[in-house]
Formats: sequence, structure tokens, C-alpha cells
Amino acid sequence: MKKGLLSLFVLIIAVSLALVVVDSCAQKPKPSKVTVWCWDPNFNGFSMKQAAALYNKAHPEVTIDIVDIPQDIDAKIEAGLQSGGSGLPDVALFQDFEIEKFIQNYPKAFVDLKAAGVDYSKFAQYKVGPMTSGNSVYGIPFDTGSTGFFLRTDMLKAAGLNPDDYQKDLTWADIIKLGETVKAKTKKALIAYDSTSFDFLRIMVQSTGTQFFNKDGSLNLRTPAMQKSLAILKELNDKGLLYLAEGWNNWVSALNNGDSAGFMNALWMIGTLKSKPDNAGKWMVIPTPLLDGVPGAANASNNGGSSWYVFDSSKNKKIAIDFLKSTWASSDPAALDFYNTILKGAGAMGTYLPSRNGSNYTAPDEFFYKSQPVFKDFSTWMEKVPVLMYTPNYMTMRDAVRNATNLLFQGKIKSADDAIAAAEAEYKQTASK
Amino acid sequence: MNRRGSYYRYLNRLGWLCVAPAMILYCLFMLYPILSSLYYVTRKWRGMSNTFVGLGNFARMANDNIFQLSLGHNFIFMFVQIPLMIFLALILAVILNQGIKRMRGAFRVVFFLPCVTSLVAYSVLFRILLQSNGLLNNLLLNAHLIANPIGWLNNTFWAKVTIILALTWRWTGYNMVFFLVGLQSIDTEIYEAAEVDGASKMRQFFRITLPLLLPVILFSAVTSTNGTMQLFDEPNILTWEGGPANATMTAALYIYRQAFVLNSDYGYATALSYVVVLISGAFAFAQMRLLGGRDK
Repeated sequence: MKKGLLSLFVLIIAVSLALVVVDSCAQKPKPSKVTVWCWDPNFNGFSMKQAAALYNKAHPEVTIDIVDIPQDIDAKIEAGLQSGGSGLPDVALFQDFEIEKFIQNYPKAFVDLKAAGVDYSKFAQYKVGPMTSGNSVYGIPFDTGSTGFFLRTDMLKAAGLNPDDYQKDLTWADIIKLGETVKAKTKKALIAYDSTSFDFLRIMVQSTGTQFFNKDGSLNLRTPAMQKSLAILKELNDKGLLYLAEGWNNWVSALNNGDSAGFMNALWMIGTLKSKPDNAGKWMVIPTPLLDGVPGAANASNNGGSSWYVFDSSKNKKIAIDFLKSTWASSDPAALDFYNTILKGAGAMGTYLPSRNGSNYTAPDEFFYKSQPVFKDFSTWMEKVPVLMYTPNYMTMRDAVRNATNLLFQGKIKSADDAIAAAEAEYKQTASK
Repeated sequence: MNRRGSYYRYLNRLGWLCVAPAMILYCLFMLYPILSSLYYVTRKWRGMSNTFVGLGNFARMANDNIFQLSLGHNFIFMFVQIPLMIFLALILAVILNQGIKRMRGAFRVVFFLPCVTSLVAYSVLFRILLQSNGLLNNLLLNAHLIANPIGWLNNTFWAKVTIILALTWRWTGYNMVFFLVGLQSIDTEIYEAAEVDGASKMRQFFRITLPLLLPVILFSAVTSTNGTMQLFDEPNILTWEGGPANATMTAALYIYRQAFVLNSDYGYATALSYVVVLISGAFAFAQMRLLGGRDK
């Protein structure tokens, strides 16, 4: 009888093992399914859904599964790459500033799309830089992070100013003067600033075409652009012109609740602003302020942006490449119309140059003050964005500079030069060698 | 004799069979990673590149002020927060045990609830409450206790206070329950005898309650020390990535960032975690000796 118990036990294990095997066989993906990972269902997820709909018109047999990975998408992808591709999707979206790390650390992870026949001369060149390694280009550029300075016209009016006087190229000195007037008249800060973020400083420095790294990958923080940007930030903070928000959510509510008269960021903020319809007609966007006196300074900059990549481990590589090529990189009228759709639907401005003739690019936008055609403006400013270089240590540099800026605001660091030295010191400790 | 032997052999085999699943899982997910870490700790391992550096990771650590700073924060949190929490938990336990007669169960639930809420959920909530325009600052401003909002999340000093307060909020009730059980297991006859001898309540507390509760207090201290050495979620979410300016960076968070956020430095992160394990081990050993010493 005891023997019987034992054999029953073994039998149970054997049966459950067999079930697991059968189950895993049944779950094998069908050959005509492409899985895509991205992280914002209202923005990049929405855009990819439109691309899938377009592709399905010609290829109804292909299922395109768009999965929203709201958190830790990088860690998930790292784990997949370490295990040789298991658990990875066919296509994933990567931030431009992070892709160099992946391309360098995992040289064979992505499909060379230049070799697969994508014509990169038709994309904004600054997007192609980070995804290039040697003769290979690995991604399909998605959106631009063309930046501007957003202002609440109702608050300017409350301060006795005419918003139309500011609808032009300004310098940071003009902005400080404007901020002082607004502060004196309305008691409000001019700029909402997220103190956990590096974006503001990045936009300032990049408006001059200055890179944070040298060509050989070493740190490049002792630049006129950094010095001037940090000095201006300190002045803005000391004069009380910044509304310091702690983190993204706090910052967004500050914008929408009118805790400040403006902010500076990229055009992908438009969707967030529109989520508060009460503010219709109040916002206007002016060009990114000029870091005058710094060589290469322009009234334009870039913040963020991401691109699509196909994993080499994908079993449906051919379909995935064909899908991306015939939607995101095609000058077919239907594909160009798709770009026009996602601009209106999600505020996602692609970087495929032929798409810029779409009707929504020039259309007036009633949400903005005097129906400003904001997309036309952002698209014009995008032309001035220089090629950006990120390197694998970008995140380390970002943290170091953000922390130094924070200490500068708190008065624990006295000058811009000291802040740069502190950032360099932290980078030296934390960066991998 | 022989039949008995084969029966024991059978029992033995059945025993092994029963623990086999747990053993296999343990080997796969505990033993194997621990053993393989011995290999990775000597490597510069980033993505697909993996080269031998010997003790290079440890040499790098010696010059890494940020890691040393992070460990220092662990100790600050440990030495300030744990005594504070145990003190509060003890007071609450005594009050619940003696002072309050009605609704005792309800109070116990209320105090215990924080430690069963999700780490992330409470961190996010505290973040909203502690913003410069958050509820707490507004209350203090309206009560005219402060003139300007306190930078609970923005200021390098106050951020540390925030972490300590949050940890105390979360874990005091948990430890209080242990103390409550400890208090209830103390024989009431001892107190009666003390009463007869004319000992005051204060004297009873220090001479009877505290000594008899010491093993429970030590147990709380051991588990809390371990928890504080592994502190991760609060500095990651509540004060955001160990901010402001690394003011609340802890060892565990720094290890995570080196491996998964900064530049996939798995070898270095492994070396860092060795240091944390050694320190936690030393603490646990010291406290076990302390605990064991009382039994003898």
C-alpha cells in the first residue's frame, strides 16, 4: 500500500509535467503575429495602433499586438537580452537617450534596418545619430521633442502685459525681466520647474548644440553653455521666479492649476495641457529662449523623443520590418496621412520629413491663444535641432548634474563652476569605467 | 529487524521526495545565484561584454563616495528610526494593554493597518501629502507653526526626516503587536506581588515589564535592522531616486541603480551587494549573540 502511495505521487508529478509540456507547445506564437512594447497608451501606444490599422488594410492576416509596459520596460528588456531573447517582443520603443547604452552593451540585439532598405535621408538627421553604429542604423525614428516656452496669456494680461509683445524670439535676460514683472504684479512664479528632472537644463544646454560628452565618450561639462545655463537657473531660483515642484505629477498639476505663469518643455506636453479643457485659449507657445553670448546658440532645442527597434531574436523579423517600413518609413499617401492622424490624435509629431505637409501640421489650434498653429511652429523649430550624442553613461551624467543643480538651488553649492565640479566629482565615482 | 530497516529506508526516501520540490527550487533560485555571484563579482559585466577584473570591483568601491554615503544613510536611518519606533511601539502597547479597556481590537487594527498597505501606494500617498503645497505644509502654515513651507521632499535634511517619519508610521504598529503579545504573556501575579510590596506603576514598568519584554524587543530590533539595511522603496519613490541630491540614497537603491538604471553594471552591483550582505550578517550575528546570551 505504501508502494502504491509512492507510485501515485510519481504519477501525479509525471502527469503535471506532461501537462506543462503540452501547454507550452500550445502557446507557441503564430507566425503572423507581431508584438510591440511601448509605454503610453495615449501617445506612442495610440500612434502604433494607427500604424497597425494602416498595415492591416493591406495585410489583414497579421495581428499586431501592442502591449503597454508602464514601468521598468528597460529592466524587462535587459532581462530578456541577457537570456538570449526569451520573453522579448518583436518590436520595442526606446528613449533616444538610452539606446546607445543598449546598442553598445548588446551589439547583436537589434536588426540593422539600413541593411533592410530603410531610407534614412528622409528622417530628421538628429534622430538618426544615436541609433547609428558604424555602418549600421538600427531604429525607426518616432517622435520629435522640439521645445518651446509655454506662457499663460491670462496671467500676462493680469500683470498688465500684452501677450502679443512676447510672441517672438527672446533671450533669457528678457525672460528674467518678464518673470520679475509677473512676480511683482501677480505674486506668481513665471516657471514651474520639476526639481527631480534634468529636462530644463538639458533644453538650455542643447539649444546651443553643446554636447554633454566628448567624441571619445568622456564627460564634457566645462562648457560655456553649462556655465551660463546654471548661472541663469540660479538667478531664476534666487529671484523666486521658479515654482519648484517635486516630481512629474506635482509639476503637471502646477501647470494645469496655474501655480505658475509658464514652463519650458517639448511639444509632447500639449496633450497634457489639453487634458484641462478649462484652459482653452489661455496658453501660447514662444520659441525656446536664447542663451545669448554662447557660441551656437539658437531659439530651438530638443527634449526627449523615442524610436522603434526590431529585436534580432524575433521569430517574425521579416513581417516586423515590413510593418515598420510600410507605415513609419513610407512616402505612400496613406502612410503620410497616418502621420497626420497621430499628430492630431495624440500630439505625436513624427520625424519623417515628407510627412510635414499634412493638413494638421499647419492647422490653427483653437486650444491655444488666438488659435496659434502650434505644430507648424514646433516643426519649424525642429529644423534647428543639432545632432545629439548621448553615450552609455548618459543616465549617470544626468543624475550627477541634476543633483548638483539641486544643491545649487539649496545654497549648498555657491556658483555654477562649483556645481559643475560637484557633478564631475559624482560622475567620476558612479560612472562605469 | 530487517523489515524495520527497510521501513525506515522507505520513510527516508519519502521524506526526501517530499522536500525535493522545495530543495530544487531553493537550489535553482537561491543557491545557484549565490554561487554564481562568486564568479560575477570578479567580472566587469555589462550587457554582452564580460571580462575578468579580479578585485577591481572592490577597488572601485573604495573610491566610490556615493556608495559610502549611501551606507551612511542606512546607519542614520537605523540608529535614529529603530529606537524611536521601538519606544513608540512600547508606549502604544502598554496603553493598549492597560489604559484602554474598550475598542481594544479596533485600535489594534488601526495601528497594524499601515504595515499591510502596499509600499508603493503609501509612498505615493505620502509624496502627495508632503509636497511643498501638500496637506501637511498647508496645515502647519494655517496653524502659524511655520512661516514658509518645509521642503519635506526638496531639502537634503528634511528628506531624511521624511524617510524616518514614514518608516515609523509604517512599522510602529507592526512591532506594537509583538509587544502586546509579550505583555499579555507576563503573569499578572507578578504585578500583584509588586503592588503588595508597594512598587509604583513606573517602577513596575522598569523593573518588571521591561526586563520580561526584552527578548521581544531584541527580536524587533533584529528584524528592523535587517529591514533598514535593505531599505529601498521609500527612498526610490517617496523621496524619488534617493533624492534630493542623493540625500536619501541607500545601499540597496544604489545597487539597483548601478545594475538596472545607470549603465547595467552587474559585476559592480554584485560586489556592492556583497558588502551589504557582510554588514547585515555582522549585525545579525551580534544580535543573535545578544538574544542567545539571555537564554543561557
